[in-house]
Amino acid sequence: MNRMLTVAEMTLRELLRRRGVLALMLLLPLTFYLIRRDAYVGQSVRSLMLGISWAVSTAALFATSAARELEPRLRLAGYGPRHLYLGRMLGLWAAGLAIALPFFLLVVFDAPNLRYGGVAAGMLCCVAIAPPLGMLIGALLPRELEGTLLLLVIVTVQMLIDPAGTGAKLTPFWSSREITTWAVDHTDGGYLARGSVHGVLVTVGMVLAVAAVFSVRLRRRRHLRHLPVG
Amino acid sequence: MDIERRGQWLRGVLDLCVLGLLRDRESYGYQLAQALEAAGIGSIQGGTLYPVLLRLQRTGLVSAQWREGAAGPARKYYRITDLGRAELRRGGQDWLAFVAPVTGLVTERVDG
Amino acid sequence: MNADEWLRAFAAELRQRRVRDDDARHVVAEAATHLRDGGGDPAVVFGLPGRYAAAIAESIGATPPPVPAAPGPVRLHARGITKRYGRRTVLRDAGLTVRAGQIAAIVGANGCGKSTFLRICAGLISPDAGEVTVTGRLGYCPQQGGTADFLLPDEHFVLVGAGGGLARGPARRAGRAAARKLGWDAPGDVLTRHLSGGTRQKLNLTMSTLTEPDVLLLDEPYQGFDRGTYVDFWDQLGRLRDAGRAIVVVTHLLNQLDRVDLVLDLTPAGGTVRDGDAGWGGRA
Repeated sequence: MNRMLTVAEMTLRELLRRRGVLALMLLLPLTFYLIRRDAYVGQSVRSLMLGISWAVSTAALFATSAARELEPRLRLAGYGPRHLYLGRMLGLWAAGLAIALPFFLLVVFDAPNLRYGGVAAGMLCCVAIAPPLGMLIGALLPRELEGTLLLLVIVTVQMLIDPAGTGAKLTPFWSSREITTWAVDHTDGGYLARGSVHGVLVTVGMVLAVAAVFSVRLRRRRHLRHLPVG
Repeated sequence: MDIERRGQWLRGVLDLCVLGLLRDRESYGYQLAQALEAAGIGSIQGGTLYPVLLRLQRTGLVSAQWREGAAGPARKYYRITDLGRAELRRGGQDWLAFVAPVTGLVTERVDG
Repeated sequence: MNADEWLRAFAAELRQRRVRDDDARHVVAEAATHLRDGGGDPAVVFGLPGRYAAAIAESIGATPPPVPAAPGPVRLHARGITKRYGRRTVLRDAGLTVRAGQIAAIVGANGCGKSTFLRICAGLISPDAGEVTVTGRLGYCPQQGGTADFLLPDEHFVLVGAGGGLARGPARRAGRAAARKLGWDAPGDVLTRHLSGGTRQKLNLTMSTLTEPDVLLLDEPYQGFDRGTYVDFWDQLGRLRDAGRAIVVVTHLLNQLDRVDLVLDLTPAGGTVRDGDAGWGGRA
């Protein structure tokens, strides 16, 4: 547990010291929110969700790339793969919550007559899914540029796809979209239920996928035999 | 000054001079050479200084460590040890005790 | 005679007078630093190489070459290592056995698979054939990278230490102590990305020795080191060897081979292990 928390702490410390990245991570959702603010506020909240998702998953992607050289040697220093990926995820989840909180308050004070519980739940879905998504892409694509472009594609698809179509259910942040609709359009409870189930399933699925990829990447190689001294 | 005589004197006291310079702060070879010259002892070449430093190190009167200074490359820094301080006190007193009668003797003759 | 020639001649004279390698390296490095600081003709500053070497030998008190301690039990055993990248075979049936209290050097031309061999020994990549047995804890220092730009050196120590169950305070202290042995006072408030290349390598190296591994694998860890640090680095390796560690160093510099016990030459058509003290003088 201590090992995992240490990795989480260092992930957070690194992120907090990247002032520029931090500023952009806050600026991006804010821009998404403000750009259509004069029109229907529901659309602004939906954009805000996408902005948060994108910002947090990009941060996760960069954190994963930055640790690429470090992780194998931490593995040798006594860390198990799960200490490394769960610790990093924990740190990113904490960072995601810290980024989402001011935006939640912004919505509460700026947009009247919404189901704020729903806004919070939608944001939680974004914050839960974005770190494992970013880590997965960071682990599978060796270069940051490719990963960033892939994330851009995912977010664009998420933004443009018809949420009622079947394909939409395959996009990672569909849960947040459904729950937000419930929160801003005051639709029936089906949206909330569907969204919540989707959110939990995608989160679990993503975490398992990250676990699988990192366990393979940081596996103990078969050719190497360890004997105790003695 | 007669170079040969100066060299002979120096051989007897250079280690004490170095210990004296190191008493308040650590230093490295080149800096010590400059400090000795600035103190008026005259130009001390590396070939004279470093063997003395090595002997001081071997006998435990100074300790040495390679380190990067605030600016510039890594250098071997020498620092006086407690043993070195004791030696400086003892050797310094010996020197004073030795030099006083010498001064007395030669002063009379020079003046006279 | 220019400074470099003088220093070379001086080093040769020291060796002839059986000054210990450690001491000789310190003295030569110090003379070089002095000449760089003050300039001047080395023959005037220090005198003739032979005479200065004699003075040094007398000051130090030359010792007979140390009798190497009997090597301990086998700590690293790699055999039959073969690695192909596509159609290119980088390593063919390479092997190495290192015992406790030995330093092995892996040498060879660029691209002959030195780093690959080391990474296979560290278990970072898989070979196409062959196996490696490591006895005890393993430490690995990559050529570069392996540090986090936005963390402080102390935080690296804490992170690495936590892997071995060390608490924060002890990990920090162990890290700083290990750093000092490389002549580096790890600063408490400078981000790793603001460290110079050589200093970052010191951090890298410190991280790999922090957990006191029984087998230490180093991939050209001294890039960007100045002369003094380089001297400290080999001194530190000597101490680790004397403490019973098994050490493997990838290197392309051959002039320090007099301090290693084994040499694995991976130059194609090589792949042979030879004795560290014998027969390297003719190679360059």
